[in-house]
Amino acid sequence: MLLQQLINGISVGGIYALLATGYALIYSLLGFSNWAHGEVAMLGAYIGILSVTSLQMPFLFAVILAVVGAGLISVFNEKIAYKRIRDNNSPTMFLMIAAMGLSTTFQNMAIVVFGPKFKMFPQILPVGAVKIGSLSVGLLDLVSLGIVIVVIIGLQYLITKTKFGLAVKAASSNMGTASLLGINVDKYIMLVFFLAGSLAGISGVLYGMKYTVYPQLGNVALKAFIASVFGGLGSVQGAIVGAMGIGLLETLVSAYIHSGLRDLITFILLIAILLFRPTGLMGKDIQDKA
Amino acid sequence: MKPILTITNLHKHFGGVKAINDFSVTLEKGKIYGLIGPNGAGKTTIFNTITGIYDPTMGNIALNGESIVGKAPYEISNLGIARTFQNIRLFGNLSVLDNVIIACHVDAKYGLFEAMTKFGRFKKNEEDIKEKCLKLLQFVGLEEMRDDIAGALPYGHQRKLEIARALATNPDLLLLDEPAAGMNEKESEELVRFIQNIHENFDLTILLIEHHMDFVMSLCDEIAVLNFGSTIFMGSPAEVKSNPAVIEAYLGGEDDA
Repeated sequence: MLLQQLINGISVGGIYALLATGYALIYSLLGFSNWAHGEVAMLGAYIGILSVTSLQMPFLFAVILAVVGAGLISVFNEKIAYKRIRDNNSPTMFLMIAAMGLSTTFQNMAIVVFGPKFKMFPQILPVGAVKIGSLSVGLLDLVSLGIVIVVIIGLQYLITKTKFGLAVKAASSNMGTASLLGINVDKYIMLVFFLAGSLAGISGVLYGMKYTVYPQLGNVALKAFIASVFGGLGSVQGAIVGAMGIGLLETLVSAYIHSGLRDLITFILLIAILLFRPTGLMGKDIQDKA
Repeated sequence: MKPILTITNLHKHFGGVKAINDFSVTLEKGKIYGLIGPNGAGKTTIFNTITGIYDPTMGNIALNGESIVGKAPYEISNLGIARTFQNIRLFGNLSVLDNVIIACHVDAKYGLFEAMTKFGRFKKNEEDIKEKCLKLLQFVGLEEMRDDIAGALPYGHQRKLEIARALATNPDLLLLDEPAAGMNEKESEELVRFIQNIHENFDLTILLIEHHMDFVMSLCDEIAVLNFGSTIFMGSPAEVKSNPAVIEAYLGGEDDA
């Protein structure tokens, strides 16, 4: 029973992790929390579900469309709002406020365009559980966990082993200096938004398949945000660890205490981290970023 | 000699403050130039305007005959101008080697897909870049510290690393902003030799800002003296030393602390 709950927790945590890494990437580069990130995941989920149900596309194609679409929406946010604010040399706070505006806009647009109803993904994977010894794990959970692991390994590789990762690290250390060394920082910022948006898109589709798709789906990103604070704002590795931790915590609280207390305990954790360990598990010095 | 950089009637105003006020200079290829003047004379503002951090209010800056006004800093860097900073600006959280590798971006002859996946030419190209960067580190005497975190290096080494990083962009023109700041006499004498060495080995034109007079006098072919954003005199070190206007503005000011 416990082992099964742990697997559930990791599976939920993985979905949070895909979102949390996006928060971390953008925070490390631009020093603000992109509140519109959840809505990117929500729109990705809608692109996925509508491609399958209304357009009758094959599932794999729908997922690709959702991932690319979410990436492009994320880039759109950067171009339409964040880049202009940066070019004006406005305070970082403006970025966060713009993100809140985008978040509300997208959520309400989704209500108008797609309707307020919850939509179910059609049956794609056979319902049922895989038996591993005495454990029975939902097939969807298993597949989603597999996808999450592959994506996270890929992301780690991208950040630690490639020139793209090095350029992003340089830009997040000092944008001005990076551009004086010939790095087109705006291009890398755009790519990071695309990457973060794509990850959000995968996460939105997986979440939508596990539960349902609805205009407020983006609120799940709040959990991912807590995860990235827990792991240390701006740290991708921290975000992954934090997300797994939150996923496990929520599952265990629901299973052994009371499901109604789940969010309460998560948010108490947020406040506790901010009070007692504001740098999170793996965060750098926050003062440095301010 | 062909001019590498031509600045004509440059102005940079911040509100009512005229940080640069009708500054003109022509730098000939291969020489070492000094830019001196009292604090607040506009020296660093000139560097910031050349490198595209600021757009000039008026006037023109031409590199090899082509205007670079309005270009982004990364474009100007790719055209062959590199700089160091008065307050060292390394990527303090990255390794010494990574600091230099980042600056080799211009040399990367592969597309983004390759850069992200490491297929194709990338591997070979990456090895070339690493080799080039290690050579640069060897040249500045930091090859043994290649894996150290840049922020943890001693001050003098950080200065050298910043210069190595600037060289990694393959510049034709190198701008050094107070390279001898915080150095004692012996260290700055060593730095003179170091910069001469770079100048010879990398086929560079150098423009440097400095307050240490001995340093400037022993290193530069020509010196521009700046006051209130405009040139008050330009000439050889000997001429600068004996010019009354310069002495009054800068060198001999008895009330100058």
